[in-house]
Amino acid sequence: MELFEEIKEAVIDGDEDLAAELAEKVLEEGLNPVDAVQEGFIKGIEEIGNSWKAGEAFLPDVMMAADAMKAGLAILEPRIAELGGSDEGAGKIVLGTVEGDIHDIGKNIVGALLTAAGFKVFDIGIDQKAEAFLAKAEEVGARIIAASALLTTTMNSQKGLLQYLEENNVRDKFKVVIGGGPTSKAWADEIKADGWAETADEAVELCKGLLS
Amino acid sequence: MLPKFNILTPEQVQLVHENTLKILTEIGVEFSYKPALDVFQSHGLKVEGQRVFFEPEFVEAMVKKAPAEFTLHARNPENNLVCGGENIIYMPGYGAPFVHEVDGTRRNATMADYDNFVKLAGASKNMHMTGGNVVEPSDVNESTRYLSMMYSNIVNSDKCFMGSASGEEKANDSIELAAILFGGKDVIKEKPAIICLINSVTPLKYDDRMLGALMAYAEAGQPVVIAALVMAGSTGPATLAGSLAVQNAEVLAGITLAQCINPGTPVVYGSTSAITDMATGSLAIGNPECALFNSASAQLARFYGVPSRGGGSLTDAKTADTQAGYESMMTLLAASTTGINFVLHAAGILQYYMAMSFEKFMVDDEIAGMVSRYLKGIDFTEEKFAFDIIKEVGPGGHFLTQKHTRKNHKVELRRTGLSDRQSYDGWAKESIDTNQRAHKKWQDVLASYEPPALDGEVKAAIDEFIAKRSAELL
Repeated sequence: MELFEEIKEAVIDGDEDLAAELAEKVLEEGLNPVDAVQEGFIKGIEEIGNSWKAGEAFLPDVMMAADAMKAGLAILEPRIAELGGSDEGAGKIVLGTVEGDIHDIGKNIVGALLTAAGFKVFDIGIDQKAEAFLAKAEEVGARIIAASALLTTTMNSQKGLLQYLEENNVRDKFKVVIGGGPTSKAWADEIKADGWAETADEAVELCKGLLS
Repeated sequence: MLPKFNILTPEQVQLVHENTLKILTEIGVEFSYKPALDVFQSHGLKVEGQRVFFEPEFVEAMVKKAPAEFTLHARNPENNLVCGGENIIYMPGYGAPFVHEVDGTRRNATMADYDNFVKLAGASKNMHMTGGNVVEPSDVNESTRYLSMMYSNIVNSDKCFMGSASGEEKANDSIELAAILFGGKDVIKEKPAIICLINSVTPLKYDDRMLGALMAYAEAGQPVVIAALVMAGSTGPATLAGSLAVQNAEVLAGITLAQCINPGTPVVYGSTSAITDMATGSLAIGNPECALFNSASAQLARFYGVPSRGGGSLTDAKTADTQAGYESMMTLLAASTTGINFVLHAAGILQYYMAMSFEKFMVDDEIAGMVSRYLKGIDFTEEKFAFDIIKEVGPGGHFLTQKHTRKNHKVELRRTGLSDRQSYDGWAKESIDTNQRAHKKWQDVLASYEPPALDGEVKAAIDEFIAKRSAELL
């Protein structure tokens, strides 16, 4: 299907505007949006992912492809929902930088790679209180909460987040993963998080593993 | 000292300056701290929400108020340091949460590590200061950690050190501690004794913690390093020119604030800018691009008439291996020959600032010694041309038994601290590499190091202050 091929190329090229335009065309022509996602967007993301692993594509390529896919999916999702399909993707994740910390480049990279891997990412931004993480997670029905911290002084907010979930008797509702420069597996174990990853692509594997 | 090497033409410096002013006037910088916004507003700058828009003439006028050099005082006046001008100051790594052992095993840094790094810096002939935050000790409660760290710098060495920049309260305590050590707040206002590191959040932001500290130090007349770390490709443009302009804008904005609060506050123009590894998104620092940022920053600081901070022995390696060696030499040599005045991370850093290593510390100490010797240059006084000796020795002779040689080799020919110059057989007896030699060396240095005595009354006053604050904070 030529249109799906064009969608795939738009994702590979990281062309957000074209991806959205082609998604509109799928709707206009009454084509199956689920097929468009599978044959167009996902095929494009997979190809970029493979190029990245082979060292031929780089982070900007992957992140721009993820943005293009996100733009296209946003347009197709309402129709997919109408047809009875799910908008879960690989799973819903709430992502944010913890209270007291305004660093976010690592979080942004993780968010893009998670999107590329098919997760529905809800990025609540920087300097977020535990309440904000929980509120968003409950609002969207997320299964994973992912919290980032760059400073040794703000790592404790990750501990605070887990304590907050415990106190509100919702700890078991979510998988909680943490990351960021000064964090480690030992720290994750100490605060009883469900997982930790050092790099963005490891974070993707971690989330896949937690929801499988 | 060798003359400083300029990597930019005067026209290029102007271009950076103009592009920076464009950023400051048309895009602005965000300060998420109301007291800072109030200061800018009171000087008539346009403030929209948390974003401050600067006026070129205002920035230039403010930056001119910062001194070209200043003296940082140590509890032993022999260790006083002049920051700026022809001087260079080396100090250990700053802020790493982890320690990598000789075999690469990673663990959390502890207070014992902190004490040991301070002692190694105290013992070193090449480290001028013991620095600050030499590691982040995970076994001390976060709320009083900064007190324990400063205490270690104070008792384990009589060299200059740094204070906390984690917010207004900790900054004030650090200044108070320095005041106790030196005999009062007015003493240190006259003779600055403590300096801290203020970092922006790139691109174009400052957070409340850093701003609180900046304002506290400026009010107390203590110097501040105002530094930006642009990661070209992720937090800054992938083009070095654009990232340099972003860095310059952030640093000038911070310097301007310091001068607004207390005109004449000594500041150090700081850069730790480097690149984003495009395969992983990680920061990468042991590279020529980082060396270029440092070199350009040294020259920009001279243009603005302030001392500069940058460089270090920087590497992305995880152990003190060959990669650590060549990356660190490149970055330290570039920073030093282009005239960086205040060099943090000059010993111990591994893996893009994430870790410190005792072996790497000793390797870097050697590198710093080598670079310091290089910076000393060649002495061309008449006696050093040795004409009479050359005449005496004549064609085909040798110089080994000349008094001139016996007298001058110790001054001119540096002895190595760590590098191996033995014959093959000499080396083959143990056949150990640099990492293993370093492993042995740091332990030897620590075993024979005697911290300089601290006056009993002063120590008691410091102990009392720390005990009081700790009780209040815990």
